[in-house]
Amino acid sequence: MENLLNPDFGVMALTIVNFLLLVWLLHKFAWKGIIGALEKREKQIAQDKQAAAEARQEAQNIKEELDAKLKEISAEATAKMQEAVAAGNAQKEQILAESQRQAEHLLTQAKAQITAEKEKALQEVRKEIVSTALAAAVKIAQQQITEQTAAKAVDEVLQEVSKAGK
Amino acid sequence: MDISHTIAHHILDHDLGVTLGSFHLPITAHTLTMLGVSIVLFVVAVLLSVRGKSLIARLLNTLGEEYVAFMRDGIVVPAVGKEGIAFLPYFCTLFLFILFSNLAGLIPQMKTITSNISVTGGLALCSGGLIVYAGIKTHGLWGFIKSFVPGGTPWWLIPLMFPLEVISLIIRVCVLAIRLFANMLSGHMVLLSLLLIIFIIGQMSKMAGVGAAFPAMGLEIFMTFLELLVAFLQAYVFTLLTSIYVGLVVHSH
Repeated sequence: MENLLNPDFGVMALTIVNFLLLVWLLHKFAWKGIIGALEKREKQIAQDKQAAAEARQEAQNIKEELDAKLKEISAEATAKMQEAVAAGNAQKEQILAESQRQAEHLLTQAKAQITAEKEKALQEVRKEIVSTALAAAVKIAQQQITEQTAAKAVDEVLQEVSKAGK
Repeated sequence: MDISHTIAHHILDHDLGVTLGSFHLPITAHTLTMLGVSIVLFVVAVLLSVRGKSLIARLLNTLGEEYVAFMRDGIVVPAVGKEGIAFLPYFCTLFLFILFSNLAGLIPQMKTITSNISVTGGLALCSGGLIVYAGIKTHGLWGFIKSFVPGGTPWWLIPLMFPLEVISLIIRVCVLAIRLFANMLSGHMVLLSLLLIIFIIGQMSKMAGVGAAFPAMGLEIFMTFLELLVAFLQAYVFTLLTSIYVGLVVHSH
């Protein structure tokens, strides 16, 4: 049993050679490939994460940009709507004023026309009265009518005049 | 029955007496087992690294990458830092070599080579060499020598501190060898002793021997599972301590 603690230097040397050779062989044929694949995969994952972060940032930027544009469009639409309402109101006022002005003009024109027509009619009536009176005077003078017939004749003329005035 | 002789026969190395002319070659049962373990480990590691498209190849690749990632992120980088990645192949090989060597003893007719002080001594010397190499690579030869004396030490303490620190490094390496050797040896001794209980009691009375077989076998199975755990644990401890010692010399300032 005492041999347990007595090192065999031949075995020790062989162990060292065997182990170092194994380290070299595995480094060359196994670990290099595995470490390379692992680093490649980690690099790929890091790149994917970076790309995802960038895409997220880009999406965030686009969202912010769109939000800003939407806000701008909304403000523009509100302004245009207010402008349109104001323009509509102004046009409405203008149309109303124009209508009123035209109505007043037409009314004035109609009144003037009526007055003129009335004047014309009165002129005609006057002419008629004069001609009728002249005719009556002529008739009286021609027939030498009595006082009663003359009165009667005047009444008839007056009735004709009043009819014509109506 | 000479118990001591029986246990020694199962545990001690057997020289196969191979000579080359007048030079005696160290071809023993343990060195042959070590060669077998190395070949199996080489084949397994190569299988883990060979790229393929089949499901098994991809599973093996993933297993290999997970193992390397565990060694790097679980042991080497925390203990040594980024500088340790250069030594990753050494640590990956060290852990698997010790593990396979420990587990080989659980296979019938195979030997536990890590219960041989010469084998664990050889492995510890390799780790010692790595520690010195890492120190010289990081700080240069003079910087490595200076790193044995902690900063701020009074000049008159240097003649005392320097040898103490050198001895401390040597002891660390020796302890690596002795810890692995003692753990694996004791486990196998316990396994053998439990089996021998059956024969010792059987010599006194055959019936008692049969009766003793059941509890002894129960304990044997329990100890085998414990040995399985110890095989992993000791491989981990040896690798972890080596990486810590490398980390100590790399970050000595």
